[in-house]
Amino acid sequence: MNNLNPEITRLFAAKEARRQRLARLSYAEKVKAVVQLQRMVAPLLRQRGRHVRVWELDEARS
Amino acid sequence: MKRTLEILNELERKGVLSRYAIGGAMGATFYLEPLLTFDLDVFVVLPQAAGGLVTLAPLYEALRRRGYAEEGECVNIEGVPVQFLPAYNALVEEALREARETAYEDTPTHVLRAEHLVAICLQTGRDKDRERVRIFREQAELDLKYLTEVLQRHGLEAKWKQ
Repeated sequence: MNNLNPEITRLFAAKEARRQRLARLSYAEKVKAVVQLQRMVAPLLRQRGRHVRVWELDEARS
Repeated sequence: MKRTLEILNELERKGVLSRYAIGGAMGATFYLEPLLTFDLDVFVVLPQAAGGLVTLAPLYEALRRRGYAEEGECVNIEGVPVQFLPAYNALVEEALREARETAYEDTPTHVLRAEHLVAICLQTGRDKDRERVRIFREQAELDLKYLTEVLQRHGLEAKWKQ
């Protein structure tokens, strides 16, 4: 890691900071993020034949 | 999700299950960055049936009566596939007893403590569990004294030090 150029080091640090920021979100905000991840990944998994269900959050149901 | 938790709370109130707590990836997400999962893992303590048998059948039946259908290993409760996992050993029983009371929006719920989630991952020991322990080490504010006690009680110290 010490040999990485400064720009890459900065990008890795920013990525880590973002993960730490995400870890501090409220649980409800994290659940929304998980559902967003599910929406992104579900089409790929379905193409591979895996049956997955994207969660229906309450606000989407009302 | 809120309605899902309300149903779980109702089942707990009515004694269909004695205690529940969120575990797995959604339990970990309480303490970490959001982790991708498609199931809500819910650990449960079930009332003992006659003869001392612990079975999920009465829970599934109660859910069926409320209109929630089984989908493979899960039950779809208000649009969320819930996988119920009966407390299967002393570590999980302890984790359920000591689960955190919290709220999702304004709905009360229980989530396993971070230290117990780490211990369960160490005990389970699959690649994804080891990866999760790594993320816990990086991101969670673990109570190390409490964690050490849990690991000692359940013989997991060596796995933590690996």
